[in-house]
Amino acid sequence: MPRKRFLIVLLLAISLSLLLFGCGTDQARDDQKPGVAKGGEQQQVDIIRLAGGDWGYPSPYAHYPRGPGIFKMCLIFDGLLERDEKGLIPWLAEKYEIKEGGRQYLFTIRDGVKWQDGKPLTAEDVKFTFEYASKYPMVSSYIGSKDIEKVEVVGDRQVLITVSEPNAAMLYNLGLTRIIPKHIWENVDNPKEFTKPEAVIGTGPYRLTGYNKEHGTYRFEAFEDFWGPRQRVKVIEFVPVSEEILAFEKGEIDLAGVTPDVLPRFQNDPQYKIVKSPGFWGYRLLFNMGDYPVLRHKELRQAIAYAIDTKELIEKVARGAAVPGSAGILPPDHVMYNPNVKQYKPDLQKAGELLAKLGYDKLDERGIRQNQKGEKLSFNLLVSSGEVRLAEVLKEQLARAGIEIKVQSVDMKTRDARVRENKYELAITGHGGWGNDPDYLRERFAGRSRGGISPSASGLRGYNNDELNNLLEKQRLEMDDQKRKQLIFKIQEILAEDVPEIPLYYTTGYNVYRPAKYDGWMFMFDHHSLTHSKLSYLERG
Amino acid sequence: MLVKIVERVKEFSLPGKASLVVILVFLLVAILAPYISIHPHNISSGPPLLPPGGGHPLGTDELGIDLWAQICYGARVSLLVGFGTALLAALGGGLIGIVSGYLGGWPDKVLMRLIDIMIILPDLPVMIVLAAFFGPSLLNIILVLALFSWVFPARIVRSQILMLKERSYIKSAETYGAGVWYLMWKHFLPEVFPLVAVNMIRLSGRAIVAEAGLSFLGLGDPTSKSWGLIIHHATNFKGIYYTDFWKWWLLYPWLALIIMVISLAFISRELERMVDPRMGR
Repeated sequence: MPRKRFLIVLLLAISLSLLLFGCGTDQARDDQKPGVAKGGEQQQVDIIRLAGGDWGYPSPYAHYPRGPGIFKMCLIFDGLLERDEKGLIPWLAEKYEIKEGGRQYLFTIRDGVKWQDGKPLTAEDVKFTFEYASKYPMVSSYIGSKDIEKVEVVGDRQVLITVSEPNAAMLYNLGLTRIIPKHIWENVDNPKEFTKPEAVIGTGPYRLTGYNKEHGTYRFEAFEDFWGPRQRVKVIEFVPVSEEILAFEKGEIDLAGVTPDVLPRFQNDPQYKIVKSPGFWGYRLLFNMGDYPVLRHKELRQAIAYAIDTKELIEKVARGAAVPGSAGILPPDHVMYNPNVKQYKPDLQKAGELLAKLGYDKLDERGIRQNQKGEKLSFNLLVSSGEVRLAEVLKEQLARAGIEIKVQSVDMKTRDARVRENKYELAITGHGGWGNDPDYLRERFAGRSRGGISPSASGLRGYNNDELNNLLEKQRLEMDDQKRKQLIFKIQEILAEDVPEIPLYYTTGYNVYRPAKYDGWMFMFDHHSLTHSKLSYLERG
Repeated sequence: MLVKIVERVKEFSLPGKASLVVILVFLLVAILAPYISIHPHNISSGPPLLPPGGGHPLGTDELGIDLWAQICYGARVSLLVGFGTALLAALGGGLIGIVSGYLGGWPDKVLMRLIDIMIILPDLPVMIVLAAFFGPSLLNIILVLALFSWVFPARIVRSQILMLKERSYIKSAETYGAGVWYLMWKHFLPEVFPLVAVNMIRLSGRAIVAEAGLSFLGLGDPTSKSWGLIIHHATNFKGIYYTDFWKWWLLYPWLALIIMVISLAFISRELERMVDPRMGR
């Protein structure tokens, strides 16, 4: 008898679980139904889910200085200009004029723009933003404290910005600075600590309606009174994901990065669309020349460049989805890439000759080069835990040239902080932004940081090349595009000869999504990620 | 002595004997790693992600490093961590147990409360914090694991000592003027050693799993090539379950780990049965 009762209970439990399970799959199917176009031709979708992770509170002062943090903030905050596939487009500014040979910028602010708390955007807000951002640099900072001389409001809708010196990259920098509301921020003295709900009020297409630091989840809802193109995605959610491809297959997220090994799974299936990213996300090997004088020898850095086989790195670590680093720093996809700079093909003999020239001509019992004084070529390499494999291959390659590498692995945020504070000997760091205006070369190699804390902006300590510095200053003042390109070409040649850092490779990963669910994804002209572009979520003209 | 051990082993059940053989094989593999691994364990020796067969009996990982060699050297790390931790924990715990049990009074009270605290502390989260704090290195891992393992031998030894010190032969030895050290060496240690030894085997199994866990989470020594680290790299390979690579890259280190831990568990059970007659024969 008890046995029979047990069986009944078991049956009940099974049917109940089947029922629940059925409900779950139904819901999932609902989500996958293609959005039906309402009115316009462009499909609308209720919710898009993407892989989450904590990238900080999305205010311009509190997010983490990496792509996923920056672009979440950009969903809420607008700049005067925005980036589309080809270049800058007017955004909060209807139009702009460059005056006095690049000394003055006159932006006409769009009418009828509302902050997410209902107040109207005024020219005063724009003026306030630039003054505030000069005083307190934003996390992803485009302007330094001395870049702007003064900001004036002209009439009621125009803002005239006078910059200290003409700069070819200034339009980009002014245009992408995020505009913040004066009525909220004017009394804030410590913007980094300001994480009240008001801190995430912008004019952008999305409002933050949920953030959980511990789970790394975000929820953004379309802002009804947004001034601009209609949002095609009503809600964007960032959900915790352990295995991205698994989550994508199960429909938990709507876009995933895939490696070439898994690509065949999605190829030749009309349900999926595969898009290759441009190579604007790269790894670079940094030398701390400030604290370790031996690294100041150009020959040593060149020898290391000769010893590194980037093709092998790409084949093994990136599984083929990358392009080799160019010694001239700018990636091949960059508009100002110089294809004729000196490149360091793997050549152990040349590496050996260069090292012998520096006096490292003897090998110790472990095969490490040393000089007369017994000083060995042995370096500590700082990497984040995600780059341990890369470091292992690098260690093996450099060992062949008689250079010993000791790998130190820490978590990503610690690595970023130590690179920023120059607490390393050699380091590998990976980040986006390689496609940006080439003025970033000035930040990296002439030590002119704009005050932000982005890993792409971390300069090199102890490196100085007067000719390079001159050229970097000159290209900044050159407003003619063709002439500037010539200067940037020359700069790349010097960098390739000097090897102040070694770009290892620029990743060109694959993205896969279901076009039936949502197909609005686009790349900004200088960026590597589909999900990072604001226009990916909006109706396009 | 040797005869005695052999006699004891003969009393082992079949799983126990098999387990002993497995552990001995692992020990041999660990000791002979440089001779039997064919390929180097830390530099690549073939194309990446080669399936088992040919020159690479268990295939290669994504850097082209031979897996068989990695598993051989990984056995060294696992055994070192396992027995190192157990030895450290047993020594420290045993000493604390003897002190606590023999002295009694307030040292006993303080130590027992400390043990209570250590027992309720959830060990894995604290180990993660400590491992992250001290930085990844094999020695740190052993120390951290030992820090969390000494309480078990300490408690067992203390209760044993409490019982022993009331025995008449100890009492009479004390009246004849035997010192603390003499008692410890001559009477206490021989009595508690079998118990501690059994505990050590169990602790080493636990430590091996914990090391693999910490390595898997990326907190191990990134250059040590332990089994946990191989599993960590394999599972971090994007989309590994959608490729064939897991069939060797993930499976073999996992199998090695499982077999070793199960063998240790069996041996520990056998020994327990012998030492503690109350446990059914």
